[in-house]
Amino acid sequence: MPYISLNRVSYIYSGRSMPAVKDITLTFEKGEKIALTGTNGSGKSTIARLMLGLLKPQAGTVTLANRPIGDYSLVEIGERLGYVLQNPTQMLFTTTVYDEIAFGLRWKGVRGSELDKVCKNILKHFALWPLRNKMPLTLSEGQKQLVAICAVLALKPAYLILDEPTKSIDTFRKDILLNALQDIGHKGTGIIIISHDQEFTHRLCNREIKVFDGKVATDGSRC
Amino acid sequence: MDLDVRTKLFIAAIFSVLAIVYQDPVILGALLVILLPVLAFLKTPLGKFYDFRKLFYLYLILIIIQSLFVRGGAPLLKIGTIHLLTTDGLIYGLAVVMRFIILVGAGLILVACDTAKLLLAMSKMKIPYEIVFMIQLGIRFIPTLIGELSATFDAIQMRGADLRRVYKRKVFKVYLEIFTPLVFGILQKAEQLSILLELRGFRRYPERTSYKTIAMKKRDYIVIALTSAATMVFIFGAILYGKEQIPFNLR
Repeated sequence: MPYISLNRVSYIYSGRSMPAVKDITLTFEKGEKIALTGTNGSGKSTIARLMLGLLKPQAGTVTLANRPIGDYSLVEIGERLGYVLQNPTQMLFTTTVYDEIAFGLRWKGVRGSELDKVCKNILKHFALWPLRNKMPLTLSEGQKQLVAICAVLALKPAYLILDEPTKSIDTFRKDILLNALQDIGHKGTGIIIISHDQEFTHRLCNREIKVFDGKVATDGSRC
Repeated sequence: MDLDVRTKLFIAAIFSVLAIVYQDPVILGALLVILLPVLAFLKTPLGKFYDFRKLFYLYLILIIIQSLFVRGGAPLLKIGTIHLLTTDGLIYGLAVVMRFIILVGAGLILVACDTAKLLLAMSKMKIPYEIVFMIQLGIRFIPTLIGELSATFDAIQMRGADLRRVYKRKVFKVYLEIFTPLVFGILQKAEQLSILLELRGFRRYPERTSYKTIAMKKRDYIVIALTSAATMVFIFGAILYGKEQIPFNLR
């Protein structure tokens, strides 16, 4: 049974004449590591937003764990799917890097030394610990990207959807990110990477979906 | 009718000023009755009024607040000796709502205008270009900011913050928490924008030319004259209706 499925989904943005996504059918099993690739404006991010229920398709259905995505609240979707936007600035809303990681954990009921331990571990792992008291919006683009990824990783969702995660990250931190994703991937977390970074996706993903002009051009396994 | 933007600005200003000056519900009601055909004449998108249905609760709150502070009239709702709602309070509450609707209607006259022409009109009215440009940027960036704010709220909820199921105090705390980064983000954008403008030679030359042009035609002057005359008649009518309603205490 697929964990996420899109069945004959189409989506057209208001004010546009051409649909961003045309009659797409895709299924994602638990624990898969998938690269969603394609040219700029081909519909990759739209597919991600449809999977997350942030956009409602004009045609077709999207299901998560065998239930229509519309039946879930955003909070419930967030418990299952972790999403990092292409523009991390929109995801950073607290006054310190530490609070950014702790925000979701606090809402999950994690408190005290347990909370501190999780935050410390993840920030140290990504070499962000020295920046813990800085305001996220004052960081470089790459650092912001990593903080946003860490904030989502800390919540341990069943599936991770990362939109251009390596866009502004340096080689050193890119390797750390790759190792971390490989690690959580081995533990059973599904990963969908939307990226133009061929090297990164080749090292991580075992399935590649190429999107062209709002349609799935190819969908196959990678060795 | 296709009128010059300055004529529409004049009409909008007249309605706004009259709506602010007068407080009597009958006069405001009359102004609202006059406004509706004017909006139709100016081909204003009246459907936009429908968008304000979401403010229904705000209207109710306005009526209730107004009712609480205006004494007099027959009590409609009371607890013990305290009059919570009186007929006078209700009438003045309705007046506040009517004023609000008139102001929105006057604003809608400008919504239908071409933004570039509106800004050009302001320039021709000797409003400094910097201010006109700031208004233009404001109009341009409002949808962007709303989009970003919406993405931020999506991210907040996807990280487990169930704002619908917690106490209002906690929701307020979340809003307070994100307020500083939000303002900081806006200031950051403004700074980046100012650098980009400098780099593109903003205000390098004192005079600017415009691709679009606007010109007052005969019909504009006729409409302005008719509007002025109608305004005088309206004020005179209001004076006749009751001396209490003379604006600016001119008696």
